[in-house]
Amino acid sequence: MLVDDEEDFRRTIAKRLKKRGLAPEEAGSGNECLALLENKAVDIVVLDVKMPGMDGIETLRHIKEKFTETEVILLTGHAVTSDGISGIKAGAFDYLSKPIEFEHLLSKIKQAYNKIIREEEKRKDAEFRAGMEQQMIATERLASLGTLSAGVAHEINNPLAIINESVGWMRLILKKDELAEMPRKEDFEKALGKIEKGVDRARRITHQLLETVRKNNSVFTQVDLKELSQEAVELLGQETKNRDIHFFYEMEESACTIWSDPYQVRQVLINLLTNAAHAIDTGGKITIILKAGVDDIILTIRDTGNGIPKENLDKIFEPFFSTKSPGKGTGLGLFVTRSIIDKLGGKVTVKSRLGHGTSFNITLPKYYEINK
Amino acid sequence: MVKIPTKILLVDDEKDLIEMLSLRLQETGEKVKSAYSGQECLETLDKNNIDVVILDIKMPGMDGIETLKEIKKRFPLVEVIMLTGHGSTETAVEGMKLGAFDYLLKPADFSDLSQKLESARKRKDEQEDRIRMAEAKSLLRKTGGS
Repeated sequence: MLVDDEEDFRRTIAKRLKKRGLAPEEAGSGNECLALLENKAVDIVVLDVKMPGMDGIETLRHIKEKFTETEVILLTGHAVTSDGISGIKAGAFDYLSKPIEFEHLLSKIKQAYNKIIREEEKRKDAEFRAGMEQQMIATERLASLGTLSAGVAHEINNPLAIINESVGWMRLILKKDELAEMPRKEDFEKALGKIEKGVDRARRITHQLLETVRKNNSVFTQVDLKELSQEAVELLGQETKNRDIHFFYEMEESACTIWSDPYQVRQVLINLLTNAAHAIDTGGKITIILKAGVDDIILTIRDTGNGIPKENLDKIFEPFFSTKSPGKGTGLGLFVTRSIIDKLGGKVTVKSRLGHGTSFNITLPKYYEINK
Repeated sequence: MVKIPTKILLVDDEKDLIEMLSLRLQETGEKVKSAYSGQECLETLDKNNIDVVILDIKMPGMDGIETLKEIKKRFPLVEVIMLTGHGSTETAVEGMKLGAFDYLLKPADFSDLSQKLESARKRKDEQEDRIRMAEAKSLLRKTGGS
């Protein structure tokens, strides 16, 4: 953009720039320049310093404040270099003294433009790196977290077993005839009940955590997804029947058979179906859809539940994230699910609409190569 | 009906666990001995008549699998239930292929444990009965032949 109050000068330069393939905008004052920038981003502003009203230096300050990516070349009158220097200090790319030589201006514009391109590349590169780093950190964090938590789970099982046997023993003692008249026996029993519940809860967590690191003993064989789905639905059992939850199957025959690890796939199905069942009210529907792709299959589990709020969608795969009340969910189901799917060379995504339901999409390769 | 106690040997390096589990099992009328290592387990088996060994898989020194192999070699009639704190059932399965009766995950559910103990004991009793009958038969044949 050319900014100069001398219209004739501006026109001439603009014409010559057009001839060289540039398409300059024109502005007659600092205010006009800022108003135009407001509407349309401009790479380079060629700005006259000496203008009535808002002068060039002030205009420059406004530009640098609001349009950080725009480069400014100042035109100073009558060899007043001090203006040029203060302009560069304020963030101008460079300055030229009037009267200017056109070729000189053109090469300055090119330099400024190159700088913009370089900055842009740098910025993109930095963004890309930051993204990669973040992703790597996330992956590593999850991987090491998995190993660590499995180790912790293993170590915790022993003390847990000690507590468990101690409580059990106390229970047996309380049942003895000699203690039939023991004072405040009910209080003791109540407390024991709480300990048992606590142990049970901790056990579920440790056992589920240990699931995540079952890496090296995978079995690969032909898996019938239709059969597995029905089996998983069976395993959900009585609860879903009592609550009148209906299951629907939409399955393409060609998508039913894949090569994978049946135990892991079943675990995934159980996790997702359990979640779906928990998300819906009595009389809700769960649909299991199987579609064949080129080299993969897509398994969708759709429920008619309450949906997942947007702010939670990013978090649901994180370990220990749960919206269920304490003791009900371990916050590990989806974490385990994603770990398994990753291991099997697949992908899991989620779509949800509040009040309408949630769909989990799993992509699994038809043939998964062993030894990955 | 008077319960016939099962003679159980608990093997785990976790002393507190052994102590409490043993007290609990004794309270339900079983006869329990304890060993804190694979080596001690074999020594105890040498000196005592045991029906079922409850054996932890992960122990320092001689581990559960090694101990199991040794038990099956030297005391083939003794039944073994493997106990594992590890989620991976792989080792447990390996143990069962080597002759263990069954396995349990720590912390074990007591009714599960009781059931498995009973079935293990029953299998051992039946096996011993069959052996006695076979012995009696062979004895009869011998006397009949002479």
